Amino acid sequence: MPLARTYSVALIGVTGHVVEIEADIANGLPAVIVVGLPDTALREARDRIRAAITNSGEEWPQRKITVGLSPASLPKRGSWFDLAIAIGILAAAGKVPRAAAAGVMFFGELGLDGRLRPVCGVLPAVARAAEKGFGKVMVAEQNAAEAALVPGVRVIAVGSLTGAADWLRGLPGPDGQPAAVEYQGGQDLPGRPGRDGKLASGGGAQAAGPGGAMAPDLAELLGQSMARRAAEVCAAGGHHLSLLGPPGAGKTMLAERIPTILPRLDRAAAFEVTAVHSVAGTLPAQVPLLEDPPFLAPHHTATKAAIVGGGSGVIRPGSASLAHRGVLFLDEAPEFARDVLDALRQPLEAGEVVVARSGITTRFPARFTLVLASNPCPCARVAGPSEGCSCSPATRRRYLGRISGPLLDRVDVKIELEPVSRKELLSDRTFSESSLTVARRVAQARQRAAHRLQGTPWRLNGEVPGSALRRTWPPAPGSLTVLERSLDRGLITARGVVKIVRVAWTLADLAGRPRPTRDDCDAALGLWLGVRR
Amino acid sequence: MSSGRSPREHLSEEKLARAALTYLAEPGDPALGALLAICSPAEVLAAIKADMLPGTGPGCGDTPASRAALDRALGRWRARLPTLPHQERLAGTSRDGIRLSCPGDADWPGALDQLGQARPYALWLRGHTDLRFACSRSVSMVGSRAATSYGGHVAGEIAADLGERGWTVVSGGAYGIDAAAHRGALAAEAVTIAVLACGVDYPYPAGHADLFAAIAGQGLVISEWPPGRHPARTRFLVRNRVIAALGCGTVIVEAGERSGALNTARHAATLGKPLMAVPGPVTSAQSAGCHRIIRDWGASCVTRAADIIELLSPLTVPDALAPSGLDALAPGGGPGRRSRPDPDAGGTPSRDDLDPDSARVLDALPTRGGAGTSTIAVEAGVDLDTVLRCLGRLAGYGFIERCDRGWRLRRS
Repeated sequence: MPLARTYSVALIGVTGHVVEIEADIANGLPAVIVVGLPDTALREARDRIRAAITNSGEEWPQRKITVGLSPASLPKRGSWFDLAIAIGILAAAGKVPRAAAAGVMFFGELGLDGRLRPVCGVLPAVARAAEKGFGKVMVAEQNAAEAALVPGVRVIAVGSLTGAADWLRGLPGPDGQPAAVEYQGGQDLPGRPGRDGKLASGGGAQAAGPGGAMAPDLAELLGQSMARRAAEVCAAGGHHLSLLGPPGAGKTMLAERIPTILPRLDRAAAFEVTAVHSVAGTLPAQVPLLEDPPFLAPHHTATKAAIVGGGSGVIRPGSASLAHRGVLFLDEAPEFARDVLDALRQPLEAGEVVVARSGITTRFPARFTLVLASNPCPCARVAGPSEGCSCSPATRRRYLGRISGPLLDRVDVKIELEPVSRKELLSDRTFSESSLTVARRVAQARQRAAHRLQGTPWRLNGEVPGSALRRTWPPAPGSLTVLERSLDRGLITARGVVKIVRVAWTLADLAGRPRPTRDDCDAALGLWLGVRR
Repeated sequence: MSSGRSPREHLSEEKLARAALTYLAEPGDPALGALLAICSPAEVLAAIKADMLPGTGPGCGDTPASRAALDRALGRWRARLPTLPHQERLAGTSRDGIRLSCPGDADWPGALDQLGQARPYALWLRGHTDLRFACSRSVSMVGSRAATSYGGHVAGEIAADLGERGWTVVSGGAYGIDAAAHRGALAAEAVTIAVLACGVDYPYPAGHADLFAAIAGQGLVISEWPPGRHPARTRFLVRNRVIAALGCGTVIVEAGERSGALNTARHAATLGKPLMAVPGPVTSAQSAGCHRIIRDWGASCVTRAADIIELLSPLTVPDALAPSGLDALAPGGGPGRRSRPDPDAGGTPSRDDLDPDSARVLDALPTRGGAGTSTIAVEAGVDLDTVLRCLGRLAGYGFIERCDRGWRLRRS
């Protein structure tokens, strides 16, 4: 019976679904038919595979070939079923052992000359294969390091269709070398640098260059002690942060230094982050596992699809998902299109992005710390009366009004940065701390919060909703006296109190106290009142 | 008092004519002002309808040039005749809670007569407060729309203080200082008057629809323009003379170099009313206009309600002359009833109640101007955590507040 089966994985977002590929060779006019909801790129696979098989020195069966991809209802996209289909056809034609072909998962795109090319999204796909009990995966050499991150999987890295076929036949390669290189997943990771890599890197395309001698440090932000403290609080509690101030006050500088005080990702988080970046194709070649929290700073011309994810055909994760477990920094936030900013409300609430298209609904994780930076006015000249701002009142009102209330409502910490005076610069020398010192405090605070929040869906104080905060974790009795007085005086609103208490919890975590005391609440109030209003 | 008039009562012929004139002519039209000085409104209206000027008299059409100007004006007014509502509609506007006040009415504020020929032909009012009485002790408070938080705070505080002492705050209902002044007065449950440059039923800016409703409930929303009329750029400048005239004095809280508030200030100066300005930081472009009118126009520098009242007191109508029934006219805000025994106390604990750290941090703040967080910490000899906590506590208690350069002592 000229029928063979191979297996691969189709990705919807970062979720893999096992796909069975059947190749049937029957009598009839020579033709190739691909059935089972393929997209254009997959339909083109016919021609790629035929060229690849012929150019690899294999024989193309001159009969009617039917390739079925099931489950047929699942949309299958892209070029990465190439290898699975090609091996299926060879197996159906009896050129490679069918049993061997059915025991391996195949991921890879074929070149016309038979070379195997790397594809995006290998990590989540291999993870899915391992879950479903597939012990062996075959990938392109360039994907081997990524695939080998998954424990318990045997990774077979091949360079070409010939190599793949030879390995399945149990033959050595043409030059006597083994046809493929094998790795045991989770143990020997090829080409992986040590853990002492750069501290402040982000994996994404927008990340800063490789950490050189001048790695950014929080201590450089001299004269902005409140802002430094705010950054520490945000890093420790996962609170969203809004920075307001004239150009040159240090908004961008501060935001760029937040990753330097964030702890490295734990194994589970690193997997989540790497999976998203793998699907997006932004994984650096030498760093298969992203262990540093990502830092994404999309330009303000970014579209909604670029920020929350989307696209026709293949749905790709946006900046919000690429910043998962890291920082999404929106510089010049009012310049972003209003609908782009508002599209962030749902991920901020739910911790994931749901992109619905007619064919399929895709989910990407998106639990990030949002950092907004804005100028008080579009012309950004508010210094003196002589060269002062010439914007009309309406323009200025409109400018800051572009960041909608519901979005700002989710921001716990708002800080106003002023140009620094000389005296403040001198005084602040005593207090500036290096990123390393702050990062240590942040890591401890996060541990405390995680310990307290065990058994809840939240890991950080910033994620805890106000109702749960009031019910389960009230501050120490008597610590709210000053807050109440401020409430009476109209300095803060009831909504503000919730945010202040949330920040007070983080301050308590930073200081190593079991619950916020009056001191923590007052300090949180000080941070809250750090913006003139 | 006209505020008690039944809505069904018909307006007199003269009032109807004045109502019609507000539809036909732009307020501040010098030609109509000159005509009204010599003819009755009914005669003017009849003349417009008949396209025939009333007989020449002194000051009206006695030279060919002014005769030509009057002819042109007549054409202007006649062009709007088709838009004139039917007489019943004119009279029945009071159904919507909108009424008309004309010169000579019991609630017509005499202060407007100072405008001479530029006096409004009539005023459309929304709200039940007596306009004449409300203006007997009143302060016009205007300023920049793009107010800083400082300006908004000061305007609100001063307006609330004025309100608590029984003074009416008159302003223009715009964003920024105007809104802060109205809100301050409303918070003190005092009477406040918004003078609009459009129909009193047309909320402009639209974001202030709720504010105008609140003002109408507690004070008055007034306009020279008939209901339904839209605002226009030039109308604001015409409107400003009414704001200046209605107040016993005019306070500018924040005004940039080219602010419309300076136009109001100029009207106040022309009318010989006391002109006052609240200073701001000299570095602030938003206060540049205030500083200029202090320097160039001799405006008085005021910083709190008491300063303003002190300046205006000799000019106000003695209480004995004011109508009785204060409580009905100023809901909940009769002067003296709500006045605080000590306006500065406000329930703030004294310095002696503070913990040692907070007391030290408070002492470390400079007496003038502000200081950054680190500077205060060094001065007080405490660490950053402590200074942040103490600053929060002190701000919560109202000892200090945020400023351009960090934190500063709160003026008490």
